[in-house]
Order: sequence, then structure tokens, then C-alpha cells
Amino acid sequence: MSPVLRPALLALAAAGIFLLPGLVGVHGAFVVIAIMATAAYGLDIVVSDLGEVSLAHTVFFAAGAYATGLLATRLGAGSWLTLGAALAAGMLIALVLGLLTLQLREFVFSLVTYAATVVAAAVAHNWDLLGGSDGVSGIPTLDLSIGPLRLAAANDAMLWPYAFVLLLITLYAVRQFRRSRLGAMAMMVHLNPRLATMSGIDVRRVRLGVFVLSAVFSSAAGWLYAYQRAYIGPDLFETYFLVLMLTAVVLVGRRRLLAPLIGTALVVGQERFLSFGGEINAIILGGALVTALAILPGGFDAVLRRLLARPNPAARAPETRPVPQP
Amino acid sequence: MNLVQQLINGIVLGHAYALIAIGWTVLLGVARLVNFGHGQIYMLAAFVTWWATVGLGLPYPLAILVAMLAGVLIGLVMQAAMLRLTFTQDLVSIMIVTLGFGHMMRGIAGLVFGGNPQVLETPLSWIDFELAGAWVTAQDLAIILVTILFFLLLHLTLERGALGRTARMVAEDPKLAQLAGIDVRRVYFAVFAFEGAAVALAAALVAPRTPILTNIGFEEVIVTFVVVVLGGIGSVAGSYVAGIGLGIFTALFGGFVSPAYATTAAFGVLIVVLVLRPSGLALGAGKGGR
Repeated sequence: MSPVLRPALLALAAAGIFLLPGLVGVHGAFVVIAIMATAAYGLDIVVSDLGEVSLAHTVFFAAGAYATGLLATRLGAGSWLTLGAALAAGMLIALVLGLLTLQLREFVFSLVTYAATVVAAAVAHNWDLLGGSDGVSGIPTLDLSIGPLRLAAANDAMLWPYAFVLLLITLYAVRQFRRSRLGAMAMMVHLNPRLATMSGIDVRRVRLGVFVLSAVFSSAAGWLYAYQRAYIGPDLFETYFLVLMLTAVVLVGRRRLLAPLIGTALVVGQERFLSFGGEINAIILGGALVTALAILPGGFDAVLRRLLARPNPAARAPETRPVPQP
Repeated sequence: MNLVQQLINGIVLGHAYALIAIGWTVLLGVARLVNFGHGQIYMLAAFVTWWATVGLGLPYPLAILVAMLAGVLIGLVMQAAMLRLTFTQDLVSIMIVTLGFGHMMRGIAGLVFGGNPQVLETPLSWIDFELAGAWVTAQDLAIILVTILFFLLLHLTLERGALGRTARMVAEDPKLAQLAGIDVRRVYFAVFAFEGAAVALAAALVAPRTPILTNIGFEEVIVTFVVVVLGGIGSVAGSYVAGIGLGIFTALFGGFVSPAYATTAAFGVLIVVLVLRPSGLALGAGKGGR
């Protein structure tokens, strides 16, 4: 595609998606999709690029939301301040957890990150400073006004542009990350840690760097989510969010820029527009996760490629195989 | 709250922990598999036990059998779905798939058993004994007794019997085991069925101590992690000792420091162990041959 046509088409597609909620007349679902997709991108760069399954990204998400909710209600902090605090909270927790798990790989890493999530939930339930099991309600609406420039959102329709911009920034950042030195080093650490070490890459620093960077996305999503819901509570640690993010990451395909967004849109879209009640939705979501990995390895993307490749067997795309872990 | 009572609580709790964790220990030690749906099988089995006693009116021992049967069934279904991943030893995907199963099980439990908390009452929980000024119920004694019997039996089968040798061979080298004429597929199914049955047995015995809800199971998973890691991955005797140790620690911490943060403290123990001896825990070390 020509260098002019491609950005123009992308801009057109973005504009189309931006106008979509207005045409459908539903903003809430789109705002939630944008927020949860942003959170899922944090997990995506850890799962797809670093090759580790973090089960602690709900903690970063919740940390962002809690920092926002607590500062906005208790201290009356503005939205810019809460954004800074949300990012700081998420990155700090990621740094501590990353340092603790620096030596751990594969399932032991996942196990400790999962334990961290359960412990964070216990703390949120029991610590009165964080609102205990009641959580914190009455969070004011988003207000990012700078000087005379009024930037405020009182409802989902007004919040949509901000959620959309957050998503666009995330998409751009993830794309740039994959082209950056850190992204390349992360892939090398993922695919061949020994070679990475021999090439002079500090494996620990790369792991820690990607882990902390991933928390930026998830906690920024938590920040906006606190404003969207106007309430935060220990339910943010529910496995629902974890399973949602994991499903979004694996459902469509690995290392595809738009995959987590499409995955999130499918899951949240089903819950909002085609809901069968909480329990059946949980079965569908869990079932989607199981299906994506156990029955359709590589996600929809790989299935689609196999289908497209069928008419011309000579040009069949190479099957995606799990990379053997050393 | 006196010390003797807390110690006795700790011993009971410790046996409960060991029994809850044993399925994972065998799963990891024998088949190099993990199951993050462990806690949800516990939850579902607790509900099945409750339903069998209250709904079907079965006597408690029969209800335990029904729950274990349900556990076996869940284990078989999970393994059937994950067979391809098991053969490629794709642990990362297995982890995520089992989390997905856990989420499904919560949905199923909510759908079948409703969202209300239930109390599983057994005839044994009505019988009290006084022991050096402390109280224990017959249910507590049953937990201790069954756990000891179960561990003895398992120790004998795995360490002495031909079954244990077969299973260990599959764990070390599935391909070689296949060449030696072992039906590897059957071993994997058997191990996952055992995992389901073991955690169901634990649920049927331990769940009467607390109300049962569809969102229980997380603490059980954390406890299981700690027991498996502390006991040395895959070691039956080790996880018994680790279970008791963790039980006493949790009871003392809960009794004298803070009951709400007992799980957090258990996680603290896990972190300390991981930081002190990370090499002993890496599964990669097991893969390279013990």
C-alpha cells in the first residue's frame, strides 16, 4: 500500500469507529470496550512479547482505579493528578512484584502473580483505608480542563472521546514498543534467553522493563474505569477481569496489534448486547478461553488463515506452533 | 483463645491443607501439569456434597463418594480438552485453559446451585470432644484420620508400586514411556481424574467448617501453592509436612495477630521461600531430569 493511502485509510477507519457509538446510540459498551482493551494491552505485551503469563494485571488495573477513587474522593484531586497517581501506583506495584519474581519462570511466575492478586484482593477487602469491602463510591466525573480549555465528561457519551483517545495512544504505544529496542530484546529473551544473554542483553532488566511498562497501560485503564463507574471496590480483583483480559489476548491471535481490541470487543459486546445472564456469560467467557487455546490454537486469526489458505495448498500459511520453552 | 486450642486448630487445619493440596502435588510431580481450576473444583465438590445430603438425602459417606465421582468427571473433561496441550507440554497454555475452566465452573455452580451461601452440615460436626481444655469436633478428627490414611496409601502406591513407577516414567519422558509400551494418554487421564477426586474428597471433608459460596476456592488455591512449593514440588511426604506447618502457622497467626490477613501471611511465607531458594522450585530443573 502506498505511504499516503495507508495512513489515510487508518484515519478513516478510526473516524468510523469513533462515530460508531453515536450511530448505534449506545456509548457505555464502547467506553468499557476501550477501557478493557487498554487494560488487556498491558497483559498482551507480557504474554505475547515476553512470553510469561502474568495473572497480576488485574492488580495494576485495580491499583489505577483505587488511586483515582481514593484521591478524587478523599482529597478532591483533579483528573490529571489522579492519572499521575494511578500510573505511579501501578508501576510501583509492578516494580516490586517484578523484582520479587525476577528469577521465576513459566508456571512458578504465574503462580506467584496469581497469589499476589488474591492477596491484593484480601487487603482491599480488609483495609478500611481503601474502603474495605464496601469500596469507595461517589467518585466525581472526569475533568481534564487546562486553563480556559474545558475538558470534562459527565456521562458515557461525553466520556467516549477520552476512552477512544486513550485506546489510540495505547495502540500507538504498543506498535512503537514492538518496533523499539526493548520490544526486540523482549522477543529475544522470550524466544532464546541464552542467546539473549550471550548477546549482552540483561535479561532481568528487559523482563523488569516490560513488566513495569505493561502496568502503565493497565493502570491507565483503571484510572478511566474509576471515573466511568464512579465507584471502586474489591470486585475489581474478581477473576472476571483477569479472564476477560486473558481471553482478549488469546482469542484472536498473538502479536497482532488489533487482536486484544477485537477480543475485548467480542467479549464485552456479547455481555452487553447478547447477554444470557451472569452465570451463562461466565460459562461463555470461560468456554471461549478454553476453546481459543485448546481447540483453536493461534486463535481466530490462525483459523482464518487456514481457511483462506485452503484454495491454494501451495501457498498455505505455516501453521503457528507454540514455541518450545527452554 | 489459648495456645493449646490454636495448636489443635492448626493441626486440624494443617491436615485439611495437606489434603486440599495433594491433588496438585501428584499432578505436578507425576505429570508435570498444573491446574488453576483447582479451587473451583473444590467449590463445586462442596456444593455437590451439600446437594447430595440435602437434596438427595444421602448419608454423608455416600455424599462424599458422589462428590468424588463429580471430581473425577470434571478432571476427565478438563484433560480431554487439554490433551493436545499436554502432549506438547505447553504449560503456559494449560495454565490459561484451567483458569478458563475455573471461570466456567463458577458460572455452572451459580446456575445449578444458586447464589445463596449454604452450610454443609454433617453428623460428625455435632460431636464435640474436650482435649486438654480445648475443643475439637468429630469432623476435625475425621479430617486428620482420612488425611493420614490417604497419604499413607498414596505414599505406598507411588513410591513402592508399579503404578508409581509408570507414572514417574511418563513424567520424566513421555515419548520414551510410549516406546516402552505405556499408554501415556491413559496415565494423563488417570492423574487428572485423581486430582479431581482428591480435591473433591478434601472439599467434602473440609467444607463443613465454613459456609460454601460460589466464590470460594481462591484461598484454597493459594494454600495449595504454598504447600506444594514448601513441600518440594511433587513430594508427597513433603507436602504433608508443609501442610501441617502452614496450618499451625496460619492458626497461630490468625489467633494472635490477625485472622483477616492469614492468607496474606501465607503468601509472605511463599515469597520468603522463593527468594531464599528459587532454584529448588523451578520446574525447568525438573524437566532437565532430577
